Amino acid sequence: MTSHGEVIELQDVSLCYRLAKQKIPSLKEYAIHFVKGSLAYEKLWALKGVSLSVTDGETVGIVGRNGAGKSTLLKVISGVLKPTKGRLWRRGWVAPILELGTGFDFELTGYENVYLNALLLGRQRKEIDERLDEIVAFSGLDDFIRSPIRNYSSGMLARLGFAIATAWKPDVLILDEVLAVGDARFLKRCEQRIEEFRQAGTTILIVSHDSEAVRKNCRRCLWLERGELRADGPTDEVLARYREFSEGNGTRPGV
Amino acid sequence: MIELFRYRDLVRALVVRDLKVRYRRSTIGFLWTMLQPMFTMLVLTLVFSALFRFTLPNYPVYALAGIMFWNFFSQSVTTAMNSLRGNAQLLTKIPVPKAVFPVATVIAGVINLLFAMVPLFAILLITGHPIRPAVLFLPVAILIAALFTLGAGLVLSPMAVFFYDTVEMVTVVLTLLMYMTPVFYPMDIVPAKYLWAVRFNPLRSVMEVFRDPIYFGKIPPLPHLAVALGVAAAALVVGIIAFRRSSDRIPFYV
Repeated sequence: MTSHGEVIELQDVSLCYRLAKQKIPSLKEYAIHFVKGSLAYEKLWALKGVSLSVTDGETVGIVGRNGAGKSTLLKVISGVLKPTKGRLWRRGWVAPILELGTGFDFELTGYENVYLNALLLGRQRKEIDERLDEIVAFSGLDDFIRSPIRNYSSGMLARLGFAIATAWKPDVLILDEVLAVGDARFLKRCEQRIEEFRQAGTTILIVSHDSEAVRKNCRRCLWLERGELRADGPTDEVLARYREFSEGNGTRPGV
Repeated sequence: MIELFRYRDLVRALVVRDLKVRYRRSTIGFLWTMLQPMFTMLVLTLVFSALFRFTLPNYPVYALAGIMFWNFFSQSVTTAMNSLRGNAQLLTKIPVPKAVFPVATVIAGVINLLFAMVPLFAILLITGHPIRPAVLFLPVAILIAALFTLGAGLVLSPMAVFFYDTVEMVTVVLTLLMYMTPVFYPMDIVPAKYLWAVRFNPLRSVMEVFRDPIYFGKIPPLPHLAVALGVAAAALVVGIIAFRRSSDRIPFYV
């Protein structure tokens, strides 16, 4: 099943968020509800029986409306959320960029955050020592790197976050609309770097609301609707079906 | 746990951050770690030394050793408990073994305890308290205390994510536990009626293994040592099981 260079394989993956109907913030109330057997949860299936496989070096776009399960799917593939049902299999080092700058400590300097962040992403200290200069250069922060990051602008944070997360060529790169921030020049450099990865064989998953970006970058596209995989195929076809669906949906009242 | 070893550089960085952040905003920095137990000792000595004069010669040393243990335990348990909540955002965005956070806080606690040993030895010298070779046993005692504390932290840190009021509850329980542990009083003032509560308090065994080499200058007797070790091992095993069972659910709640 995994013989042809698949890097990611999902088998009938479902994921359920349990939203407490009543808010049960205390142990006492929990105990009462537990004993009475009235622990009521609203089950929200964010993913329903999703099966797909991605092979080495593919670039795949993911489209869908808000709440369709795109981010949840990326979180499952990243390993942040464990599927409620089904199986996930993946290979290699995954760089998930679900949000730029998560894990930054605002009390620490840029330098210190480079280490902390890269360590969180699973790198070793020695590897970071080797790439430090390169990371700082890419972020374009110059001397700011020595001051606490609470003084940074949001653009600077995004630049540093991207520089750290992409300092090593990942086997799988996961991008959740992170490129919506930052100025045009930085965006261009990000795209350049992603292009380099692609040519070097990195598998890339991109969630985007920008159909043009998906069309430009991805030959294959997934369309999610209410947690189900509605289409998986060549980008043009999938986008056409998605557009048809959204337009149709817009004119139908109450949906 | 194998994962933890792979992330050992991260654990180290988190320990350093913990220590840095704790002291960055105060001017005399980590000196507070040394001064705070000394002040508590002074107060306790003023209040209690006359009372416990006959049973506890050189009361300041008895109290200081107790306070140091207690501070280590209560501070480490509290920070470990809050360590997952404090990193909530991160846990939903970056796949990282969650145990690194409570583990790092307990290690930082041990380092703080080591800092606090400096004034302890100063007090020993000043008061002319004999320092016996038994103090070489202290690393073992500290290790036992750390394992026990880690076990408690591993149980409490996911609970604090699931139930908001775990934190308040633990604060109350810690206060109660402090009075159930002979931190600053001798065992023989405990009324017979309540003696069981103190005697069977697992924290007492762990603490006495730490205080025996300092105050009595002796290696703890084997039965005591066995109980403390057993208690620490049990806490750790329960902690690891509880943590493993709940850690996949944590990102859903934060």
